[in-house]
Amino acid sequence: MPEKLLEIQNISKHFPGVDALRGVSFDIHRNTVHCIVGENGAGKSTLIKILTGAERRSSGSILLRGREYNPRSTREAMNFGMSVLFQELNVVNQLTVEQNLVLGKEKVRLGFFRRDPQVVARMYEVLRSLDPSIPLGKRVAELSVAQKQVIEIAKAIASESELIIMDEPTAALSEEEVNRLFTIIKELKRQNVTVVYISHRLREIFEIGDAVTVLRDGQMIGTRQVSELGSGGEVGSTAELIKMMLGKVVAERYVAGGGGQGAPVLELRKVSNAKLREVSFSLAKGEILGCYGLIGSGKTEIARAIYGLDQKQGEVLVAGSPAALASPREAIRQGIALVPEERRSEGLFTRLAIRENIPLMNIRSISRWGIFSARREKSLARSYIQKVRIVARDENHPVEKLSGGNQQKVVLSKCINADSRILLMDEPTRGIDVGAKEEIHNLIRELARGGTSVIVFSSELPEVLNLCDRILLLYEGRIRDVVRNGPEVDSERIMHIVTGAKEA
Amino acid sequence: MQADLTLKSGRRGATLDIQLLILVGILVLVMAVSTALTPRFLSYVNMINVLMQVAMIMLTGSAAVLLMIAGAFDLSVGMVLALTGVMYAFMSKNGIPTPLALVLSILIGSGFGLANGALVVGLKITPVIATLGTMYVAQGLAFIVAWIDGGANVTTGLPRDFEVFGRTMVGPIPLFLLIVFALILIFYFLFAKTNLRKYAFAIGGNQTAARLSGLKVGGVVLALYVLVGTLTGFAGMTLASRMGSGSPKVGTGFEFDVIVAIVLGGTSIYGGEGSFLGMILGALIIGFVGNTLNLLNVMFFYQTVLKGLILVGAVLLMRQLRSR
Repeated sequence: MPEKLLEIQNISKHFPGVDALRGVSFDIHRNTVHCIVGENGAGKSTLIKILTGAERRSSGSILLRGREYNPRSTREAMNFGMSVLFQELNVVNQLTVEQNLVLGKEKVRLGFFRRDPQVVARMYEVLRSLDPSIPLGKRVAELSVAQKQVIEIAKAIASESELIIMDEPTAALSEEEVNRLFTIIKELKRQNVTVVYISHRLREIFEIGDAVTVLRDGQMIGTRQVSELGSGGEVGSTAELIKMMLGKVVAERYVAGGGGQGAPVLELRKVSNAKLREVSFSLAKGEILGCYGLIGSGKTEIARAIYGLDQKQGEVLVAGSPAALASPREAIRQGIALVPEERRSEGLFTRLAIRENIPLMNIRSISRWGIFSARREKSLARSYIQKVRIVARDENHPVEKLSGGNQQKVVLSKCINADSRILLMDEPTRGIDVGAKEEIHNLIRELARGGTSVIVFSSELPEVLNLCDRILLLYEGRIRDVVRNGPEVDSERIMHIVTGAKEA
Repeated sequence: MQADLTLKSGRRGATLDIQLLILVGILVLVMAVSTALTPRFLSYVNMINVLMQVAMIMLTGSAAVLLMIAGAFDLSVGMVLALTGVMYAFMSKNGIPTPLALVLSILIGSGFGLANGALVVGLKITPVIATLGTMYVAQGLAFIVAWIDGGANVTTGLPRDFEVFGRTMVGPIPLFLLIVFALILIFYFLFAKTNLRKYAFAIGGNQTAARLSGLKVGGVVLALYVLVGTLTGFAGMTLASRMGSGSPKVGTGFEFDVIVAIVLGGTSIYGGEGSFLGMILGALIIGFVGNTLNLLNVMFFYQTVLKGLILVGAVLLMRQLRSR
């Protein structure tokens, strides 16, 4: 076993009214990828903040290379060789790759900036070792999220970081980009860098993790060597982790619903636009239809076209009659509602309370003659909090203070309240922890049983396999195949089709 | 009615409550200091005078506060105020029956609101730039009309009924003040109880989400601009009638007073949060401070400096309260 780089001993953190961490202890060994998993609110982010000096611990001690480590600022933590790759990347979009790399590394002489050629050379070398395809002269704004991450990682390594903390680095990456990131992480290990990896996606842990620590409710549940858990492909291995995270066994499995039998409520006939090529399909009453493809395959574009956000040619029929669906307003009037991919920036009014968010897609549900009733607004919110089980202080709780899962439930409530018969759900559980994910899935099943038709646009295969009656397979804006879900469904073939490796 | 009228929105509710309390404290302080410095402050004549100035700020502010909550802005109100006053005088002097001139001058205000809305919503010009443009147009037009009339102001030769609206008294109180306050009350109702409130907060909070939720974002913003223009037209006509002349200089700094009152009242210049009662308190503070300085014969320029400081101070106060 390699030597211990970081020893976390009995760390606690108390906030007024909450114990964010209670007696957490574990070791991180040099040159390993150490994963930390846990539901939202388990204490992961508090732990990162303590490690990077953004928060001070209440008690306990941390040893770095055997010495007491207690950073008072992120700057100090960096001097100790600790870097973080946050979800919100720290690059300057207006500058070029080169300018970003040397930013903050300039030497100041007589009040003028001067580049240290040695530092610059080291930067280039590091970047080249990670990803030689990134052009130095390009403006960072034009790069993909994955490429921006590489730039941040390069900066971290060049400033002699020994430990890089990655906070859900794959949340916004496509499958291919994820693979490239994993190659980079393996390269980091080779360059003697230790990685702390935080993710919701258990599959990834099996792919790159050496050890995994599970947190739940601020407590340490356990640390396991990944090799002890078995390989990621097996059902049993993830089951143990999920059990540790939740404290209970979750059985997520597709149960054939009655959906897909009735008359079509929505039909697309040869719908095309800049991103879509003759997309045709129909959706039955009470059906859960999956729309699966990699990022860029046109999933979101189908949702946007139906919802009247993008122009389209071709025909759309709602309940058998042609509908133009030229704007969200018109789509909503036709009984269609969208749960957008970016729930915070597109689906929610984060500064408003739960109570104020829920009726906004259908203001008539709380008003008459243009005058709203605060009493009705309150009772409406309360009924949804109960019905979809939103965990909040009360209906006045601001949406920005809710966890991702509960925020998504507010978006869902908004859509249900719009009397929608057709729900378009774009990445319904992205960035949501395992427990809340299961709850959202159950809500979708419940809605479908009640006669609502749902289209789930997802880039997570397990999600569509768990949920959907039929699955549309997308590749480059076309529907390549439609498969009916069931025990005999061939996930390997599906992967082949959506990656374009095989013609349907 | 209990909690329903305490215009709370999410977490900001508590912040706004504190801010309103602070404003009431400042208002009481300002009044106490003013009374101590100048006994004339509390006199009937002076009170009517201050209320008249403050009422105009509040009237335009009643709609402008919603506009700002919805994330937009109107800099043209000062010059539209001047132009509508000048037009009211010019039209009634040149043969248009006074009641008709009165209505037409208000509609000129509406027209400017419509133009502002069309520029911002239709042509997607940033509110600050669009309304800065219309502000200069209105200012220029006001001077042109006064020049055609043959002077700096439109004062002489006005029909006798020109001043009726501004001079009629109901007991000790001018009729126009009662009407203006009735209008402000109506707008308070609009703000507190109607869907317009819901729309404004939603659009200012997250325009994309508002559009995806099927709200008529452009329509609401346009309507708010028209309301602001109409109320400003009403204010301009009223001032002209009260003063017995139409002056192109009357609106100087008015847009600034309105914005200071709204921001002082806790409304974010970025939209998404705000308070009607705060705007009312803000207008009173601005009005009383200005009036006291006038009574003390402090030069106008110092007042301008002070108002600037109050605006910056208000923004800082907001940020302090929010960061806690």
